[in-house]
Parts: sequence; structure tokens; C-alpha cells
Amino acid sequence: MGKIGLIIKREYSTRVKKKSFLLMTILGPILMVGFLVAAIWFGQQEEKDLEILVLDDTYILSSTLVQSEKYHLTSSQDEGIENIDDGKEFLKESDKYDIFLYLPNNIVSGNSSVGKLFYKDAPSSNVQRHLEGIVDGSIERLRLDELNISKEDYARLKNKVQLHTIDVVSNEEKNVGMRAGVGFIFGLMIYMFIFMYGIQVMKGVIEEKSNRIVEVIVSSVKPFQLMMGKIIGIMFVGLTQFIIWVMLSLALTTTLSLTVFPNMMNPENAAETIKVEQVAVGLTVEQVDSDISETGKEFQDLIFNQIPWGLMISLFIFYFIGGYLLYGSLMAAVGAAVDSETDTQQFILPITAPLIFAYIIAVMAIENPNSAAVEWCSQIPFTSPIVMLVRVSMGAEGLGWAIALSMSLLIGAFIGTTWVAGRIYRTGILMYGKKASYKEMFKWLRHK
Amino acid sequence: MTNETPIFEAKNIVKEYSGHRALDNVSIQVPKQSIFGLLGPNGAGKTSLIRIINQITAPDSGEILIEGKPLQREHISDIGYLPEERGLYKKMKIGEQAVYLARLKGMPKKEAKEQLMSWFKKFEIDSWWNKTVEELSKGMAQKIQFITTVVHRPKLLILDEPFSGFDPINTNLVKSEILKLRDEGATIILSTHNMGSVEEICDNIALINNSKKILDGKVSDVKEQFSEDKYIIEFKGTGVAFANAVWGGWEMIKNEQLGEHHALATIKLSGGTKLNDFLKGIINAVDIQSVNKVTPNMNEIFIRAVEQQNSSIETDVINENTNQDG
Repeated sequence: MGKIGLIIKREYSTRVKKKSFLLMTILGPILMVGFLVAAIWFGQQEEKDLEILVLDDTYILSSTLVQSEKYHLTSSQDEGIENIDDGKEFLKESDKYDIFLYLPNNIVSGNSSVGKLFYKDAPSSNVQRHLEGIVDGSIERLRLDELNISKEDYARLKNKVQLHTIDVVSNEEKNVGMRAGVGFIFGLMIYMFIFMYGIQVMKGVIEEKSNRIVEVIVSSVKPFQLMMGKIIGIMFVGLTQFIIWVMLSLALTTTLSLTVFPNMMNPENAAETIKVEQVAVGLTVEQVDSDISETGKEFQDLIFNQIPWGLMISLFIFYFIGGYLLYGSLMAAVGAAVDSETDTQQFILPITAPLIFAYIIAVMAIENPNSAAVEWCSQIPFTSPIVMLVRVSMGAEGLGWAIALSMSLLIGAFIGTTWVAGRIYRTGILMYGKKASYKEMFKWLRHK
Repeated sequence: MTNETPIFEAKNIVKEYSGHRALDNVSIQVPKQSIFGLLGPNGAGKTSLIRIINQITAPDSGEILIEGKPLQREHISDIGYLPEERGLYKKMKIGEQAVYLARLKGMPKKEAKEQLMSWFKKFEIDSWWNKTVEELSKGMAQKIQFITTVVHRPKLLILDEPFSGFDPINTNLVKSEILKLRDEGATIILSTHNMGSVEEICDNIALINNSKKILDGKVSDVKEQFSEDKYIIEFKGTGVAFANAVWGGWEMIKNEQLGEHHALATIKLSGGTKLNDFLKGIINAVDIQSVNKVTPNMNEIFIRAVEQQNSSIETDVINENTNQDG
């Protein structure tokens, strides 16, 4: 094993053996899945039974409102309340009711129907949507009766049109929005890893410089070897952590979805509100379900068929490594130029700015993947590692040349930055007590 | 100096750092199996030269030869370097990092481990193998650093202030190890401000001041060069007799009475007076017990040489200014 191999091995093994690494690697996915589960669990918990007092100026709606298991509706007449102010007062005093729902006169006649929902403890948006669904259903049913339309006819009217987006080149069906989302998650991961491990490179360099071991080491290896060994070693730490995270997360979600929450990952859950609304109108459950299973199928199709996983993962690894090398080498140069971490601020900002800019462009790309900004930023090496994957996730067809160009630009750029960083590093690591300026660093570039 | 090719030779080394000349045409020769003192005030250019020998930086011009061959990357395993500002990884186990540093110098893993173990035993620190540097005192860490410098048996050892941070007992331990390494065939370049140790263990020296070499040679030759015609004469007889025995050509620097009619006179000859002639003059006046030449110690030589050069630079500057005015 060459000397650079020894350095890589040391950087890797000392970091991987650290307790903090083990903790982060194991806790990371547990925390992430844990938060997800907790969020869903709390979401479900929140839907406790609600006692709802309904004041309906028309007296028509309240009799047609559909009761459900969790939402108990009581007409205000039963409590002897006839106007909104009494209702509000009553709710304040009452231990029984959680919500007072006021439906004004024009709610049936008008087109824009605004009701009011008074609460003591703020209801979730879920509750709000649910009640809106119930009221909507009742209004629709009233109008159906008025117009003398049968439920069967209504079911035919209610036909929900979906537009499936199809790429004319590959003739494949694609869900553009969701696919962009998947690409964005990849880009986001690269962004996070560049940040996390770039900072580690910088800290590692500062550590060696400040504990003065660096002079001993550069008498055995070239400074460039030391720098590259550190950058590559930490890259492997990042890849290891990433692979463990992915595997642990998959294992955890699979186990959880099979045991504790068999329905949690089911896309049908997301369609629950649509279901309520439509059942409220009086449609049969079967009619509604056929719609929803369509959504579920689409989601599964997206996951298993539409995302070009092979391409995405290989590009992810390429852009992760490329982007990391680009930024990591600059971080190493910063570490070498300063004496302590407190001095890094002025140099870190110009490095993180394009990274944050890339993130913003990636967010933009979800909405508008073909804008000029996205196209440019998927080529510029400082932003391409984060932006390109969003673009690719929406279909790589016809992007061949763009990907090839972006990849070669990135390779060229990281060779350039490593060269520059190597020069700054070489001089910087042996400079103490002198505050480095940009001018000074520019001089270091030209040192023999 | 022997006829043998010197193990290390620097020829006309020039190094500049953004306008500042750190080394100005410096040439030195280090004979094989000797201890060479590289001396000079802070900022004189010693560290610059040492970094060039270690190939951390390259000279702007000039040549470095190792056993007559131009310095190359392959020579790294032949050189051991203990920098003045030295450190270790704080959180890495001592044994592990010693093996790491030895392997960076090109030692195979197994051999590195064996050699290190025997050095650890010699320094009675074998129980520290699995400790981290954080748990050690500064002196303890210094021992580890010394070991990692010498473990790969380099032909050329460069030690920059190797004794700083050691107590007198450990200083002696390191000193005797340095001498032992030389006797086993190594050559040592010792950069230090500790003139006592230079006198004690160095065979040759070079003195660098203001980026220039101002003095070099065997320690005994340098001392000879800086010695003035000063002698300490122990005699029995009266001081008046001693003082009146020879007229002119000498001065009394000190006269110390050891007893009645027994004294120690320090004299300086001048005006070309020979010691023999002086002794002939006093031999009938007093009873000479012993005659010793006064040799300056390295500390005095260091200070004198540096001050001489500094004042000559000042004179140069003044002359230059006067010339410009004229």
C-alpha cells in the first residue's frame, strides 16, 4: 500500500471508530424513521372524537349532515341556541362541545359558501377539511334533490379526469411532479453530505496544523498526498455512512410497516379525505375505492417503474464524489490557511454561498425543470451536483449530451480546485500566526 | 575533514519568501557519522534550510547532495526529522500512531511494531502503547516523538531543539541515545540554542545569521579561530615581581590570589609578543606552576560572531547611505 493509502486508511479508520460516528450512523436513521412514525402516530392520535355543535340558519343542512364515528354533530336547536353569539358563549362555557360550527343563511344558496368554525383548542387542518367535506357533501345532496338527479347519474357526473403525462420520445408515462421530488431528495442528500464532510475535511486540516504534527508528516509525504489522503479518506467515511443509513432506513421502515403500522405506508391513507367527502354525498364505498386504488397504483408505478434507479444511483454516486471533491478540496485549503476554526468565517462564506444557491435552484427545478436557470446550473460545476439529479429524475432521454458535458465540467473543475487547494495547502499548513488574506493566498499559488 | 564523500552537502542554497531572502547562498558540508551543530539566532534561516533538506520546500537555486547524489524523494526514508514545533494526534493511541508514522517513512508494519516495542522498552514507556497523547505529560510526548524520529534507522537525523521540554535526567538519556546513534553509523544535524550541548556533543558546526552562513568548521578549529592570545598562568612569587618581569607587549586582565605568594594571573599578549618570550621573561622572576590557554566557549563565540556580522551589516548600510548622499 502506498503512502497515500496509509493516510486514507488512517483518516477512515480513526473516524469510523469514533463513538460519535457510530452514534450518528445508527441514530440517524432511527431518529429519521422515528420522527416520521411519531408524526404519523401523533397525526392519528389527534383525531379524537369531537363533539360539534352546529348552528344552521337554514335549518335544512343540519338535518342532512352525515354523522361519523369520530365527529358527533348536534343541532343547536337541541341546546336551545338560536344565534351565533349565544353559540359562541355556549361553547365557552360548555364542557361537552369542542367545536361550534356556524353555517349562515347563504351557504346553500350562494356559490361561495363561507361558514365559521369556533374552537377552544385549535383543530387540525385535517378536522377542518373533514368538516368541509361533510358540509360540502350535504350541500351537494340538497342540490341533487333540488335538480332531481339520481345518485347513479351523479356518480357518472362526478367522473374525475386525470391527465397522465407521457414522454413523446420514450412513450413512457410519467408523473413529473413526484419524480422531480425524488430527484430533489437525491440532490438534497448530496448537499447535506458536501456540507457535513466538507466541514470535516476543514476541521481535520486545522487539527493537524494546530497540533503541529503536520510538519512531521510532510517530511515523509508530499503535502498534496496528505491533503488528498484526508479528502479521500473522509469521502469513504461519508459513503459508508450513507450506505448504512440507506440500509438501516429500508430495514426499519420495512419492519415497521410490516408489524407496527401495516397501513402507514399505504398511499390509500392519503386519500382518506376524498373518501369521506364522497361517501358523504351518498356514493357507495366501492365506487370511491376504485378511484383511490388508481392513485395507489400510480404511486407504486412511480416507485418501481418510472424512476430510472440504476441511472439515478450511479449519477448520485458520481455527483456526490465530484461535488465533494470540488468543495472538499476548497475546504482543505481554508483549513490550511487559518490557525483556528474561529478564523474560518471569511473564507467559508464564499464557498457555501454557491452551495446554498444550488439548493435554491434545485427547489426551483421541481416546479420548472426546463427553465434556463436549471439548465445552466446543471452544467456549472459548483451547482451541478445538486441540480442535475432533479433534472435527470424527470427523464434522462435526450439529456445524454447535457449529462456528459456536466460530468466532464465537474471533473475538470475538481481537478482545478484540487490543484489550487494543493498550492494553498502546501504553504498554508506551515504558516503560523500570520493572518492569511486572499492576497496572501494568491501569492502562495505562485510559490515554487 | 575526511576525504570521504560527506553524507550531506548543501551547495549555494538560495530561498526567498515573497521578497524576503531566507537563505542567501548557504553552503555546508556534514561529514559522515558526526554530529553537526546548525546554529543561529531565531529567524536566521535554520528552519528554512531544514525544510529544504526534508523536501518540504524546494530551494530557489542551489543543490542538496546526499552521499554525493542529488536529493530525491527516495531519500525520505534515509532522513529522520524532529521539528522544533512538534505534536502528535491527541486522540489516537500512541502505539498506533507511532506505527503509522514509521510506515509513512517506509517501514513494513511488522518491523515497525517490533522496533517500536524495543524502543518503548528502552525508554521504559511500553505500558503507554494503548494510551492516547491526551493522557501524557509534555515530556512523555517528547519521548514518543524522539522514538518516532529515529525508529526507521535513518542515515541522517535532523533534530531541531531536541532537548527542549525534557528534564535533566531525560536530557541525558536523549543525549546518550544521540551519541549511540552516531557511534552506530548515523549522522546527526542538531539545531539548537543550547550551546552547552553543542560543546558537549557536536563535532562540527555552522553558524547562520541573517540568512548567511557566517562561520563553520570543527568545534575545536572554531574555538581556536576565536581564541585570543589569553593565558592563565599559575605562579608562586609576588605579583610585583610578575608584573615587572616583562615590559610591554602584554596586559594583565585578572590577578587572583590563591594564597600568600601564590596567584592565578590571566594575561593577554599583544603587539606580536610570543608566549615563549613572555615566559622567558617571567621565568626568573616567579615560579611557574602551570600555563593554560584560555579558549572561548561556544556561547561567547555565538554572540561575538553574530554581533560582528550585525555591526558589519550596519556599517555597510551606513556606507551605502553615505555613498548615495555623495
